Amino acid sequence: MSDKNNIQNKLNALGELVEWFSSSDFKLDTALEKYKQAEALAEEIEKDLKTLKNDIRLISKKFDQEA
Amino acid sequence: MNLLDQPISVSDFIALGNQIFETALPSVMIEGEVSSFKVNQNKWVFFDLKDAESTINCFMSIYGLRTPLEDGMKVIVTASPSLTKWGKFSLTVKAYRPTGEGSLKKSFELLKAKLETEGLFAAERKRALPSLPKHIGVISSTQAAGYADFIKILNERWGGMAVDVAHTLVQGADAADQIIRAIKYFNELEALPEVLVIIRGGGSADDLGAFNDELLVRAVAGSRIPTLTGIGHEVDTSLVDLAADFRASTPSNAAEILVPNRREIYARAHTQVAGLKTIVLQSIERLDRDLKDDLESVRRLMRQGLDAAFERLGILRVAVSQVNPDNVLKRGYALLRGETTVGGKIEVETFERIVEAEVKNVRQK
Repeated sequence: MSDKNNIQNKLNALGELVEWFSSSDFKLDTALEKYKQAEALAEEIEKDLKTLKNDIRLISKKFDQEA
Repeated sequence: MNLLDQPISVSDFIALGNQIFETALPSVMIEGEVSSFKVNQNKWVFFDLKDAESTINCFMSIYGLRTPLEDGMKVIVTASPSLTKWGKFSLTVKAYRPTGEGSLKKSFELLKAKLETEGLFAAERKRALPSLPKHIGVISSTQAAGYADFIKILNERWGGMAVDVAHTLVQGADAADQIIRAIKYFNELEALPEVLVIIRGGGSADDLGAFNDELLVRAVAGSRIPTLTGIGHEVDTSLVDLAADFRASTPSNAAEILVPNRREIYARAHTQVAGLKTIVLQSIERLDRDLKDDLESVRRLMRQGLDAAFERLGILRVAVSQVNPDNVLKRGYALLRGETTVGGKIEVETFERIVEAEVKNVRQK
């Protein structure tokens, strides 16, 4: 799985957790556990995003003449 | 032997003249005004180039007609001088570009109207750009400041992408052809980039002229890959911009349109989590309020129960007091104890006294 997908998955997971807190499934008993999960996910997302680098590749083909 | 000492044929003389031109003037740039412009058989283009005093014939293939030409337009032609077999001197035009504000504008408007009629700029042709692309193609001059700005902002905002860069000229006579070749290259790849970005920093109208080239505009419009342009500044709109799927105002803006800002994304993630704290605290407050309400209800019910009990107690107390013998005695009655037979001893109790007496007589009522 690519880094982008990892981040996308983590963003989706965070989104689901956030939704849970506003849903009818919300229970105070499990809220602390879910909150800790969300906090950890946010940290991971920041770490992942900070470390992502682009791979910039200069094409060797010359475009100054017809191939 | 000196060549000029011997007679030569007319054809040889013209060939000699052309040889001299090829050696001495292989390519010249001449600025002048177009007149007597005409296209023959939809193949050949003829016009005169003139200034205040002189005129010269020009000739070119229709395929060289990359931007509209009209009588009265000022142009700079890049051409080779030659003699025709009829002995006429002419310029074979390799490239040309309109020059001067009026001619540039005229040429721009003519081509814009033509391509607009063909629907090349129609809104319904525009495709959406990918969100979070993994693979992008960039066409630019890697030495240009605009390219550096684009890459800088792109790297700051997002990562994890494969960025393939085709280095081309972005101004001058060859720029349009090089960019067209780069577009073709990307479009023929097995693994197509998700988006093609054409980048060029700011410059004069002349500098940006390549982006009003008809063939380049058609190549952009015909790209299988969605296109994004970041050419010049906000105020510069080229025909390539109009044909692209999306136009950014500058190279930096192109990077901003292409990818989200990673800082904003992780800041938003933290903000969302911080918001959860508020939800939990509000939930606790609500629970606390509910508990207090419940407690108050219980207290109220208990008070009501007690009030009812006290009320019942009061009634009972009245009832009990009514049957209390002392109260009966208070009303003037007396209690009689003892034997109620003649000679019997009896005790009579009133409210205040107890009287002992002897029964003297007993009779039936």
